[in-house]
Amino acid sequence: MQPSRREFLKWGTVSGILLSMTPLTGAQTTDFPATDFNELETLPGRGVRSRGAARGRVDGRAKVTGAKLYVSDFRAADMPGWPPETSHALLVRAPDATHVYQGLDLAALEPGAQPSVIVTAETIAKAGLRVPPFYAGDLFCPAGQTPLYLGQPVALLLFERFDAYDRARAAFRNGDLVRFGAETGPLEGPNYAALRFTRIAGLTPGAPDIYSPLQEGWISPGFQESSGRPVWKPLPVAEGGTYARGATYGEEIRAALAAPGPDLVVLDRAFETQSIDPMFLEPECGLAWFEPGAKTLDIVMGVQSPFEAAEAVAFLLGEARADIRPARIEARFAYIGGGFGGRDHTPFPLYSALAALFLPGRPVRLAHDRFQQFQGGVKRHAFEMRSQIAFDRASGRMVAFAGDHVLDGGGLANYSPSVAVVGATAAIGIYDIPRVDVTTLATHTRGVTAGSMRGYGTLQTLTALETLVDEAATELKIDPIELRRRNLLKTGGRTMTGNPWTVSVRTPEILDKLAAHPIWRERAARKAAGQGVLVGTGVACCTKDYGTGADCSLGRIELAPDGAISIHADAVEMGNGIGTSIARRVAAILGRTSDAVSVARIDMFDELGLVTTGDPYSMTQAEQDAAAKNPRWVPEISSATSASIGAHVGTQAAAQAARIVFRFGLWPAALALWGIAPGDPREFLFEEAFWQDSELILSGLPPLAQADVAAKAHEQGGVTGAMAHAFSRWAWAQAAFPLGGMDWAADIDALAIRRGAGGFTVLDRSFVFFPPTDYNRIGTSFTSSCGTAVRVEITPSTGAIRIANAYSVFECGEVLVPELVEGQAQGGFAMGVGYALLETLPPFEDGPGNGRWNLGDYVVARASDLPLHQLQIEVLPPVSPKEPPKGMAEVVMIPVVPALLNAIFDATGHRFRSLPVTPAMLKEVLP
Amino acid sequence: MSAISLTINGRAHGPIEVRDDLSMNDFLREVLGMTGTKFGCGAAQCLSCVVIVDDPDGTSATNPTCVVPAVNFDGKSIRTIEGHARDGELTALQEAFIAHFAFQCGYCTAGFLNEAQVLLERLAAAPVARGDLEQTILEALDGHLCRCTGYVRYHQAVRDVVLADPARYLEAGSAP
Repeated sequence: MQPSRREFLKWGTVSGILLSMTPLTGAQTTDFPATDFNELETLPGRGVRSRGAARGRVDGRAKVTGAKLYVSDFRAADMPGWPPETSHALLVRAPDATHVYQGLDLAALEPGAQPSVIVTAETIAKAGLRVPPFYAGDLFCPAGQTPLYLGQPVALLLFERFDAYDRARAAFRNGDLVRFGAETGPLEGPNYAALRFTRIAGLTPGAPDIYSPLQEGWISPGFQESSGRPVWKPLPVAEGGTYARGATYGEEIRAALAAPGPDLVVLDRAFETQSIDPMFLEPECGLAWFEPGAKTLDIVMGVQSPFEAAEAVAFLLGEARADIRPARIEARFAYIGGGFGGRDHTPFPLYSALAALFLPGRPVRLAHDRFQQFQGGVKRHAFEMRSQIAFDRASGRMVAFAGDHVLDGGGLANYSPSVAVVGATAAIGIYDIPRVDVTTLATHTRGVTAGSMRGYGTLQTLTALETLVDEAATELKIDPIELRRRNLLKTGGRTMTGNPWTVSVRTPEILDKLAAHPIWRERAARKAAGQGVLVGTGVACCTKDYGTGADCSLGRIELAPDGAISIHADAVEMGNGIGTSIARRVAAILGRTSDAVSVARIDMFDELGLVTTGDPYSMTQAEQDAAAKNPRWVPEISSATSASIGAHVGTQAAAQAARIVFRFGLWPAALALWGIAPGDPREFLFEEAFWQDSELILSGLPPLAQADVAAKAHEQGGVTGAMAHAFSRWAWAQAAFPLGGMDWAADIDALAIRRGAGGFTVLDRSFVFFPPTDYNRIGTSFTSSCGTAVRVEITPSTGAIRIANAYSVFECGEVLVPELVEGQAQGGFAMGVGYALLETLPPFEDGPGNGRWNLGDYVVARASDLPLHQLQIEVLPPVSPKEPPKGMAEVVMIPVVPALLNAIFDATGHRFRSLPVTPAMLKEVLP
Repeated sequence: MSAISLTINGRAHGPIEVRDDLSMNDFLREVLGMTGTKFGCGAAQCLSCVVIVDDPDGTSATNPTCVVPAVNFDGKSIRTIEGHARDGELTALQEAFIAHFAFQCGYCTAGFLNEAQVLLERLAAAPVARGDLEQTILEALDGHLCRCTGYVRYHQAVRDVVLADPARYLEAGSAP
């Protein structure tokens, strides 16, 4: 991660600007009645007229009736208190990064298509703006310079009327209005990250590691060649001793791989993956209004990381010239039409803010069209990988692995360092390998900036690994599933950073499921029976971390006297059904489906008074220890939402708050209703009690209606509301709070409660344990696993490939909403098919940065590309009824890709080592 | 500039002056504020922007709005996602989309809803055999892009609406 120090000092004030953050709720259109999707999202079956059963998503009704929900739905007229007219902004980007940018040919625009204001590098240079460190690089390419990357913005054109904007937009799309001069070639830039992960296990099982990143820290070479590439070998110089120590071990592994004895089988293979676009269906959009009189910037955004986006806008403007510096920013967050990581830490909101600042007094809408989204949206990193793996010939055990990854990070750093780390530390997948050495290099290029996308890093390196293991099985003449089974990393075993996984490890069961599935068992018979088509079967099994090493959750629960429950949480809805998931998790604790749940609410937690300093990824232990003395301090207040951590992180604080309401509100009330006096041994049997049909059951006692217990809790002045903050750095922060005459410990680090109908009061923690900062050396600790089996049929004359049958089996602890989990797996399968067989963006001048890419050229999976009725999804039951939910939305995509490649090998006898595998490529290798 | 008049969800609009090259999508979203119809690609490739056009002969078809000028819709009668529910009562198809968790982000839902509604009306007029149902749904919905769901639940939802009323949508004697 970016080791940048945050400027954040006090909740609510960033860069000296007062910041308020609220979700944008559905608006009424003037002509057509919208739905009742308003202040609070209403759960199906509560307060809505529905002929169906009380099932479905909290946002279901709004989404099938066309309610205004998404950021691109809103105009100024939809915003209460705003001027009615919407102005429009056009962000012009450079389609060239090898020639000097010379300005815009605005004379080519018709008179009715001229912008009112033109914002360029020169404009903002005089405005005192600061680019947030995460987005370091020029916001606009100045005239007279070569753009840093393809798609770099060169100007923001502001139009008071839609028609002028619309005509200018068409003119820019259809003509060469961005002028370039002399050829310079691409600009060089420093690499974004160069890291090496080496582990040498102890000589006997269970012995301490001889060398590991966990023990020694992460290392990076300090020297580079004239080309800018790092020198990976340890140099005989005095400096860089820490690097030299690790690299010496790494080079030993490589030397052994280069000269294997007869007892070893070594494979040495290259693999390339392509750049793709997240292709969320709603292009990025924003709406903003700067009132110079009130010095307020109102901004509506659609992002996965609302807190970060608002903070970035405030940082941008913190030291701006007085006339364009707001004293207050009102950030509002709308629903997003897909994310997949591509709306996490995007620079788009910065440009949206600039559009408003330079057309003061007028609400301005900035919206990408699809060409612009391809040209400017973050991409998945293309990887070049070399993998070497050694097996003991007799046992089939993996004994050593070396990998070298080079990532194309494109024009700005964005998430490149993180993607490099995640890819590298995932590189040995589900396996236990005692000697591992992986180098990774994230490079700057003139390509479109690459950033976060579902399964980042891991998707690339595990595709290379799982096809390599399949090839090794052929070489060793061992069944591919059996070979995997012999090499599994078991519970308690150490990953390649030297730490164990701290969650359930279910890969043995997943492999058993794959082996027993008809797709696998019938593979030979199906292959033999192919009529006019080549039939092949493939499997793969992968694991994927969930969480980032600094994940936060905010949750607030309120219980009414009639038992009704309302929930507020900071997580963002991106299609993953986070509101529905939180509601289900809380319902299991409080005995009733929530009556209202509201997400993206970072404005509902003021009573916690949270304060943060430092960067949770790079702070020292001493800094953390000192800061933690302040009972309001937490390492981070709110973090980005991704579908994969929704269940695990997004629901955590709300679930913990619900437990406190149960334990100190409902449980004492139940005791009173049952007539159980203090001192009775049943007083502390709260863990034994459970809900059934909204009745609280404790063996041997009459069931209690949830509403009666809630009424009693209010009557007694028990805890009827709780708001909590949770923080995870590969383990939850834990704290104790004075409650019920004891110190109540929970996996949260801040808590406020309300009693009866009173207001919320913050509680000082009597004890707190934040996960040590050394945990930042962990690669993966929370992980979930998925296996996929596929059968393909390939038509030799055309190379056409059909997926005849598919099966994915995975685990995710407690399943909160089965339909959402299954839906993520179905969607992940489709995205895996697209990555393996369909989608690609060429680098550089022919790629999306040229502004000419759209759907049509870029092909994502359609229904007819998928085995809609032949895709079986199976979720393993949790290891125990109390196993918490685990993230699953990323891992379900990953094994699909190598399983398809392995099936293609089985069908054709050819191993493809680059993606995507197209019919033309298949035809070429077939007789 | 031209003045256009059209009927949207049963309600007359216009005459309204529009630029001849203003897209129907921008007419709906920017001029009328009807943003239930989405903009996805601007190239008629994702079909998130389709609306239902009701022809005078009683047939209906979907039509993209992103690449078609608004003036082409002059005099026509169209339906959009905002017009499916009546008096707050959802259609069977809308209910099925919710009950099946057919969508995730929901940005493609308007297109799928319109396309599937046209399919249902077509089947009501010309039922198909039960054995052809899945292929019929695939052919009708294919081309509508969804990045979240893998399409499975959309297709299941439409199939369930048909199977819930086989006498209406399926050839007599073909239902299982």
